[in-house]
Amino acid sequence: MSTVELFSDPGNGNLGSGKHNPIRITDAAMITALGDNLQETWRQILRGVTAVRPVSRFPVDNYSSRLAACIEDLKPSGGRSMTHALVDRLFGDMGPVPPDAFLITATTKAGIDNLELLCRGYPAHAQDILLSSIPDMISEKLGMRTGGINISASCASSTVALARGAGMIAQRKTEAVLVCCVDLVTEFIFSGFSALKALSPIPCQPFDRDRQGLSVGEGAAALLLMSEERAKREDRPPLGTIQGWGMANDASHITAPAKSGRGLVQAISQALRMAQKQPEEITAINAHGTGTIYNDLMELTAFRQIFGERKIPIYSVKGAVGHCLGAAGGIEAALGLKTLSAQLIPPTAGLVTPMEEAIGRVSSESVTISGDTLLTTNSGFGGINAALVLVS
Amino acid sequence: MGCAKDHDRFVMTDGQLPHVSAGAVFDKPYPQFRRMDEYSRLGLAAIAFSLKDAGLHDFEEKRNIGIIASTLYGCLNTDIEFLRTVMPSRGMHARPALFSYTLPNTFLGEAAIRFRLTGATFTISEQTPMGPACLQMALECITSGEADKMLCGLCNSPVPSPFEVISKVPPGALFFMIEKSPWKGSSYGRVGLGKNGRLEFKGIPVSGLDRLVKRCLSGR
Repeated sequence: MSTVELFSDPGNGNLGSGKHNPIRITDAAMITALGDNLQETWRQILRGVTAVRPVSRFPVDNYSSRLAACIEDLKPSGGRSMTHALVDRLFGDMGPVPPDAFLITATTKAGIDNLELLCRGYPAHAQDILLSSIPDMISEKLGMRTGGINISASCASSTVALARGAGMIAQRKTEAVLVCCVDLVTEFIFSGFSALKALSPIPCQPFDRDRQGLSVGEGAAALLLMSEERAKREDRPPLGTIQGWGMANDASHITAPAKSGRGLVQAISQALRMAQKQPEEITAINAHGTGTIYNDLMELTAFRQIFGERKIPIYSVKGAVGHCLGAAGGIEAALGLKTLSAQLIPPTAGLVTPMEEAIGRVSSESVTISGDTLLTTNSGFGGINAALVLVS
Repeated sequence: MGCAKDHDRFVMTDGQLPHVSAGAVFDKPYPQFRRMDEYSRLGLAAIAFSLKDAGLHDFEEKRNIGIIASTLYGCLNTDIEFLRTVMPSRGMHARPALFSYTLPNTFLGEAAIRFRLTGATFTISEQTPMGPACLQMALECITSGEADKMLCGLCNSPVPSPFEVISKVPPGALFFMIEKSPWKGSSYGRVGLGKNGRLEFKGIPVSGLDRLVKRCLSGR
């Protein structure tokens, strides 16, 4: 334990005041319970349908909900965690990844399904339980030159991973970063949220007056980030850019969000400052929108502090794909790129009667927008909040 | 166990960790501490000592300081303990308080609350448990202006059989406090990335966090 002093770094410093080139997102893929790829998931989300259904993967009789958004045909094989099958399917829809790209993965529980098996006396690969198993697996599957790292920041894991990947490129530590996120629906997760009384007995209803909690989901996403120069050199047209990011801790409670929204306000303010954007330049917000009483209220409180009385369009996809935990932010960033390219806010599935603070902001229908800048935010246990500014 | 300034030598090896009690770490009462899991107590104690070592343990206002912790096994012990409350009766007796600690970054939230730290908090996991990745990311957070100061280090609690066969890592936790130059107080020295991107301390490459501690101590 010691104190050390940092000397000036040769990179592109002081991004906080917004001086870096935009980080290009040149490829994106995903798999969710709504679809095997990004296009299909987006198509189903626009239909307003939900993937939250009765769980058949494990017995749910003793839990406060019987619903989750599971990928129906996802099965473990050969003692390997289901994360292997999920990642195999994820990259089927993605273009080539440069072997020199740095790999950052995001997961909260990695192959926790294998810990369940081992604790019940069934054979399973213990390695898959480790958080570092995810970058190991993906690096090997894609033949990447670096082993990579995994980032865990609860339900903001992949948003933090995207921020750090963008930071590495902005500071010229690397030209390309693959961010890959994955989390599963397991009895471990389900029983925990049930014990915390956080599960909704019906498909979750983000920003609804009668919301009762969250619906767990699973999925994976991959986003390839590149410097402008590298993307041009490789002739990879951008799907969008990351122009700013921010992260902050509430420093108030490990499971409940700060009622004032203080941490989220700090994260958004930092992201806007880095992107050199004013609040009025934000076209819409992809919110965390879990459907829990406290999260949704906290978010609207925070948004009001940043955006005032403006009726900025806000949406949540968790009523459609469930809360995919550490993978949520990556899935939502990829869907956010679709939002900007289609100029269409997707419906917030599950919404029936908006909270008073959400009236005129959140809709159960698709809404046409006109603008190029999306704010996407996630918050999680441990008080972490993260925000990204995406531009088409 | 303690602050670097109180020790002449440092070593992380296999073996039993000392019992970490609140009284041995914190100046003020901290009843929540004994309700935490072992992994959280270990990490929180190391963060407390690091802040004390840096003279940053007395505070009133919230501070824009972030924390990045590297961990190989994370809260695996707590995961196993939680599953033992789930399995016998298929979830009827799952303990919610225990579930809260089944995330590797929960202890960073506890540290943020205790020490009023509002910067980014997250854990990283990599193949090299003593590797410099957490330090490199902390440097990026500071040079980019995202945080004023950063705590970074590692935390690994002892892991039960059969899981320790996956990879060996000595149990323990250590954290550094990093601030951008010019640092007004006393410091162990200057750390950063050299032209080749390698971690350097006082201009000499260092390969891992344990080596960095030794260099800090030897250079006083």
